[in-house]
Amino acid sequence: MPSEVRVPIASLADIVAARQRGRELAAQMGFSSFNLTLIATAIAEVGRNIVDFAERGEMTISMIKNGTRQGVQIVATDQGPGIADISTAMRDGYSSANGLGIGLPGARRIMDEFEITSEVGKGTTVTMKKWEA
Amino acid sequence: MSAHLGQVQKRYVLAFRQYLEKPDEVALLRAYELGRAALGDGLGVLEMATVHARAMATVLDRPLADAERARLVDAQRNFFVEALSPFELAHRASREANTVLRLLNDMLEGQAKRIAYALHDEAGQLLAFVHLAVARAASDLPPEKVGELNAVQGMLNQVDERLRNLSHELRPPVLEDLGLSPALELLADGVSKRWGLEVTVKAALNHHVPATVETTVYRITQEALTNAAKHARATRAEVDLRQTPHKIVCSVRDDGIGFDDTARRRRSGLGLVEIKERVAALGGVLRVGPNKDRGTDLTVEIPLES
Repeated sequence: MPSEVRVPIASLADIVAARQRGRELAAQMGFSSFNLTLIATAIAEVGRNIVDFAERGEMTISMIKNGTRQGVQIVATDQGPGIADISTAMRDGYSSANGLGIGLPGARRIMDEFEITSEVGKGTTVTMKKWEA
Repeated sequence: MSAHLGQVQKRYVLAFRQYLEKPDEVALLRAYELGRAALGDGLGVLEMATVHARAMATVLDRPLADAERARLVDAQRNFFVEALSPFELAHRASREANTVLRLLNDMLEGQAKRIAYALHDEAGQLLAFVHLAVARAASDLPPEKVGELNAVQGMLNQVDERLRNLSHELRPPVLEDLGLSPALELLADGVSKRWGLEVTVKAALNHHVPATVETTVYRITQEALTNAAKHARATRAEVDLRQTPHKIVCSVRDDGIGFDDTARRRRSGLGLVEIKERVAALGGVLRVGPNKDRGTDLTVEIPLES
């Protein structure tokens, strides 16, 4: 399996594919099954955000290294409407999340690193990482 | 089973069977979405566990070969974990919110302390100077003008008292000066003298207690004792403060006729509603119930960060 895969995201079927790729890559690196579920969950939430708000985008899932540590990185980009106020978007209760901790804020909480950049009219990029052990 | 739960159950069994037939990512995402929708509908983890157990029972309705059984054990775990994953998100969100709430409480308490200090010490001192200046001015005035200055002094005294009360409401200075246990004893002493209620205090504190918790316990004890004396016509009350590494428990028991929480007297003290809110903000619980033979037992438990 290559150490990087790109998955176009435009439908639920694409989210399924991205979750599968993410799970496979992370399993290959020795992530526990608990962490595989968290990674798949983060992909589902970020992927859903693309489908719901930008209609289409792309996810790049790759193996990353930092010294002896290795991890999985997911970069999700879209050319959708963008987010005017990121801090509001990252708060629970924004849009469909309803304060249940799901959505983008949920993905942030289960990954080790989470970054979001966005420009109105241009699109949004979410970069998240999970380190093994 | 509610109609709602029945719906979830039906969909869960269907999706679970589909996963057993074809254990792929499509079926796993289905499990995840099921859990996500159930969370949104207000179902809890225990309900999900029940739903899963019932689904297991439906697929275990016939004897299974060993290999099949082993496969089922793995499959059901994967499926169940996926369905529960949204609840993990909710759990982490509430844990984070609790931490933020605690920080916010501490910050507010810190602010209250600073304002209380500014009111009591700084503004109080300025007022004392004003008093002196007015007194000096009075000594130079003809007697017919002194009356006006007396009125000014009267108003200054009111301002002084108002400031003191405000400061005390924000953060009782006695907590700052002596700490919680002695402050409670002083409070009990004051209530005894003022209302003739016999109050005993047992306080066993051995760890540091955050300022927010101290103030809350103090306020609640104050409210409970005041109620016992003023409204419940109690003759005796007992304050019992205990601490474990993880929580602080304070009970106020009296032999009166019960807790009076009518709106009529809510103006003066904290009132039960506000006490409950304060305790809830600290993640604690409040119980108001009958004392053993007669009277009221008001017990508050507040968790401490270990």
